[in-house]
Amino acid sequence: MMQPRSRDKTFGTALLLVIALVWSVPLLWAIALSLRPPGAPIAIGSSWWGGGLSLASFARALSAAPFETYYRNTLIVVAGILIIQLVTVTLAGFVFARVKFPGRELLFILFLMQLLVPTAALIIPNYSTIRSMGLYDTLPAIMMPFWASAFGTFLLRQTFRTVPLDYEDAARIDGATWWQTLWHVYLPPARPALTAFAVTSISSHWNDFLWPLVVTSSVSTRTITVGLASFTQMGESGAEWGLLMAGTLLVVWPLLVLFIVFQKQFVASFVSSGLK
Amino acid sequence: MHHVTRRQLLTGLSAALVLAACAPAPTAAPTASAAKPTTTPVAAAATEIELYFPVAVGGPIAKIMDGYMERFNAVNPGIKAKAVFAGGYPDVLTKIQTTVQGGGKPPAVAVLLSTDLFTLLDADLIENLDPYLQKAGDAYVNDFFPAFMLNSKDDKGKVWGIPFQRSTPVMYYNKAQFKEVGLDPNNPPKNWTELADAAKKLTKPNGERWGLQIPSDGFPYWIFQAWPISLGKNVVGTEANKVFLNTAESTESLEYFVKLIKTDKVHPEGIIPWATTPDAFVAGKASMIIHTTGSLTNILGKFPNPADVGVAFIPGKNGFGAPTGGGNLYIFKGAPQDQKDAAWKLIQFLSQPEMAAEWSRDTGYIASRKSSYDTDLMKKLIAEKPQYGIARDQLQFAQKELTSHQGAEVQKIYGNAIQAAIEGKKAPKQALDEAQVTADKLLSQFK
Repeated sequence: MMQPRSRDKTFGTALLLVIALVWSVPLLWAIALSLRPPGAPIAIGSSWWGGGLSLASFARALSAAPFETYYRNTLIVVAGILIIQLVTVTLAGFVFARVKFPGRELLFILFLMQLLVPTAALIIPNYSTIRSMGLYDTLPAIMMPFWASAFGTFLLRQTFRTVPLDYEDAARIDGATWWQTLWHVYLPPARPALTAFAVTSISSHWNDFLWPLVVTSSVSTRTITVGLASFTQMGESGAEWGLLMAGTLLVVWPLLVLFIVFQKQFVASFVSSGLK
Repeated sequence: MHHVTRRQLLTGLSAALVLAACAPAPTAAPTASAAKPTTTPVAAAATEIELYFPVAVGGPIAKIMDGYMERFNAVNPGIKAKAVFAGGYPDVLTKIQTTVQGGGKPPAVAVLLSTDLFTLLDADLIENLDPYLQKAGDAYVNDFFPAFMLNSKDDKGKVWGIPFQRSTPVMYYNKAQFKEVGLDPNNPPKNWTELADAAKKLTKPNGERWGLQIPSDGFPYWIFQAWPISLGKNVVGTEANKVFLNTAESTESLEYFVKLIKTDKVHPEGIIPWATTPDAFVAGKASMIIHTTGSLTNILGKFPNPADVGVAFIPGKNGFGAPTGGGNLYIFKGAPQDQKDAAWKLIQFLSQPEMAAEWSRDTGYIASRKSSYDTDLMKKLIAEKPQYGIARDQLQFAQKELTSHQGAEVQKIYGNAIQAAIEGKKAPKQALDEAQVTADKLLSQFK
């Protein structure tokens, strides 16, 4: 009995290692290319290593754009969206899960239908709203359309519904107000769901390109993806891969670090929010 | 432990937001504004205009553009021009369309593809430039290379765009490899027979080296257009609702391309990526490539011995031919009149012979005006690197780039037919006949 099981285990680990390696190839390749000397061509036979290591591509990328401004703007935008979203999706999820009022189900279905509309289709109406509010070319303009989230509301409603009603009754009997109930009874078990939602929100808004591009026109209001798009848009001349990869790594490293640091919590939250 | 970290994270994030909200409006980035001359105070009534531009080639384009705006503003105290980077060509168009459809004002001026002309006209976005050109005089407009002006005009000959970042495909060849196989490095192939013969000599077995490599992804129609043009029949004429994709000339060209791949085996099989072709040339894996003149700076910078980079006209069956490419400056109809007038001043500023020469040196685009080549800057550049003169010389054989109503769609139809033939999925004639039918159907709605 012992032997087959340990063989199975070894095989499983080996398989996982291979899969992990395959999945990390794009990232490893980006790192290898970004460290290549700019003059070295990339061709069959020399696609990984070519003529030593060099930080020249990073130096060029850093000198090509005001990174300080871009990082700061991106941080403000991502945090500004997430914090307000956490408030709105928690309250909306709670209302749809536990507050009874006529037309609740219909309203919820209407709310969910937002998920069917791709964000790109809403660019023109959103732009129109932002313009009439006089917010064009400001950071709040980038954040505002995302302050409500159908996905987050849905996720939180489902989570809140799994909390036994008895808990709420017990809190009521003890004299808790609705917001105390929400805070002490509903939110603690919803933490994994909130974390999972935060991950998707941060990564999607960190990477958003078209909306910030459309709604800003100054260096001082631009986010990192827009600022660095100039490296990826060399459609006419051949791409400068070293520069492109250096730029890409400069964009993604904060997300990578965030993921590595909070890896355990992220995985745990996805697993538990999926199981419930 | 977990709780503390998570709380710390949230606290940190909220602190960042609060700080951001309390801080005054973010100041302009140091690079863009630090060098701005503050000696001439801008008059209260200065006309502010924006120029939307795409980045389509390497180099610090955004910085160059900011520099041009500073110089323009310095000599035009009544105008304050600002350059706005807006992504790639399609992103610029999206940004403008969104602005206009969302009820906002378009920028006064933008750089968009020369082939976007009919798309812009059909959406009624751009301003006719003939009144401005009449004031500027014939000498101004006649100084632009005629081949570049072909895509500036609509089917009635009205002018809507001023050539700015223009290019054309040329043939690059490796002089060292020419010597190695006994070809004359100063006498590149001039016709299809010589091209195939040279490619055969240069090709090494097992894909170690290809004699010729022509990219065919992204916009395969573009380079390919050179051959029907060399045969005297371009795939597009003056009309905006007619294209000629399956002419005898077009078919013969595609058959020749397929023969190079399938019969002569001097060209790699399959769809060849645009972006990696210059690297294949630099690495010596392809002896001859056809690519945009916009890659010249990049190729010369990477080539082991830049003197070995040969640039030549694209060989046609018996003569030469090439399409033009790249972007024009357009003025937008929806902008107020004073902005449009200021935009025209900016266009004239950017198209001065000296400015066009500088732009060419900094980016690799062809200077759009003939007199640019009489400037000291350009003379010096060509004396040092004669390769820069070839694209200009080839312009005498150049014709219009494929454009029409629904232009992007028609380009795709032609490109798909070319790809289908290269991959051996369809015979060239069949692929082109089908493409013609599809294009005719699409264009039949435009009378």
